[in-house]
Amino acid sequence: MTKGVKNDNMEHLAPLIEIGGIEFDLAAIMMVVISSLVVFIIARLAVRNLSVENPGKLQNFIEWVVEFVQGIIGQTMDYKKGRPYLALGLTLILYIFVSNMLGLPFSIITEAHGSHIPTVFGQELIVKGEHEHLAWAWWKSPTADAAMTMALALIVIVLSHIQGLRHNTKHYLKHYTHNPNLVFLPIHLIEIVSKPLTLGLRLFGNIFAGEVMIGVILGMGWVGIPAMLVWQGFSIFVGAIQSFVFTMLTMVYISQSIVHEEDH
Amino acid sequence: MSIVWSNFFVQLVSFAILFWLLSRFAFKPLFSVMEKRRQLVQEQMESAQNNRTDAERLIEEQKQALQQARKEAYDIIEQAKTTGSKQADEIVLAARNESNRIKEDAIRDIETEKNKAVAALKAQVSGLSVLIASKIIEKQVDEQSQKQLVDQYLQDVGNKS
Repeated sequence: MTKGVKNDNMEHLAPLIEIGGIEFDLAAIMMVVISSLVVFIIARLAVRNLSVENPGKLQNFIEWVVEFVQGIIGQTMDYKKGRPYLALGLTLILYIFVSNMLGLPFSIITEAHGSHIPTVFGQELIVKGEHEHLAWAWWKSPTADAAMTMALALIVIVLSHIQGLRHNTKHYLKHYTHNPNLVFLPIHLIEIVSKPLTLGLRLFGNIFAGEVMIGVILGMGWVGIPAMLVWQGFSIFVGAIQSFVFTMLTMVYISQSIVHEEDH
Repeated sequence: MSIVWSNFFVQLVSFAILFWLLSRFAFKPLFSVMEKRRQLVQEQMESAQNNRTDAERLIEEQKQALQQARKEAYDIIEQAKTTGSKQADEIVLAARNESNRIKEDAIRDIETEKNKAVAALKAQVSGLSVLIASKIIEKQVDEQSQKQLVDQYLQDVGNKS
């Protein structure tokens, strides 16, 4: 691996295969499944022995998370209105936090022997362009992939628009043209596009940059050990903050479209 | 960095599945337990509040009962004092009356005894004087007329004295 990093032409490829004309990123799919499994197992362990009067450690932890998300919802809107989004907020914060953390501790790299291209499920991994040395990165945060974070962001934004239309129809539609007047319609339209973009790319950028930085520090050899310690700590911090920010913004966007304020 | 578009849909589907699984198997029981605990705490707080009001009411009742008892005790003592002094007065009065009566009886008795003694003395004196007179005079006088004489004489003496 050190050898590979020292090679300037070295780039870790995503292990892609093509099925039915569609490219699939095997590493990303694997990491999504692993992240989801970790979240689900933690949640199941936490609710294994539920007790009203004598909760266990894990139950206390998960209840702390629930109360944390309840706090986020309570800050952005009337909690009674935001109650249905509690499960969504919890899933988001747990999934994004676990995803952000997963890419940090290690990575799994496979290298090609010579010019032989390995196959997975009978399909050759796709190699685009020229590479002196072929290596595939299998272990990375799902949230270090722009398409993945955009999917999460779109889920949230589309949901907020749907809920706005369903529960706040009149004022939701009115706010495009009457807030404060028709001249601002283009700004509202830009906002529709910019909200998911900023939401998704903020998460992607932070986590991707963190993993790139880890790669750079690895290239420094043993000199980089202190820097690595610092950066790993900072990445944990960033990962936690980003999962919080994502959940917070989700609730803010939902509240913006479902809550009708009189001065609109 | 190239974007693999299938990742978008992979994430979409897997997040939806994760959301459903978590909601169904983790959050649903968790929320119900948290709701139960909330109700439990609320019930306990309500019962604590009720107990407190009950306790306050009981204390108030006890205070009133104590006050009542104190007042009654005071009344009883007061009553006892007045009856006591009244009875004492009555006893003293009765004693005084009794003593007066006894004194009067005594005076009356003394008077009667004195009269009796005087009468007896008179009778004896008359007998004796007859004896003495008969001894002195040595003259046989009819006892009857002698007696009359002495009585006459004593009467005169008595009247003079």
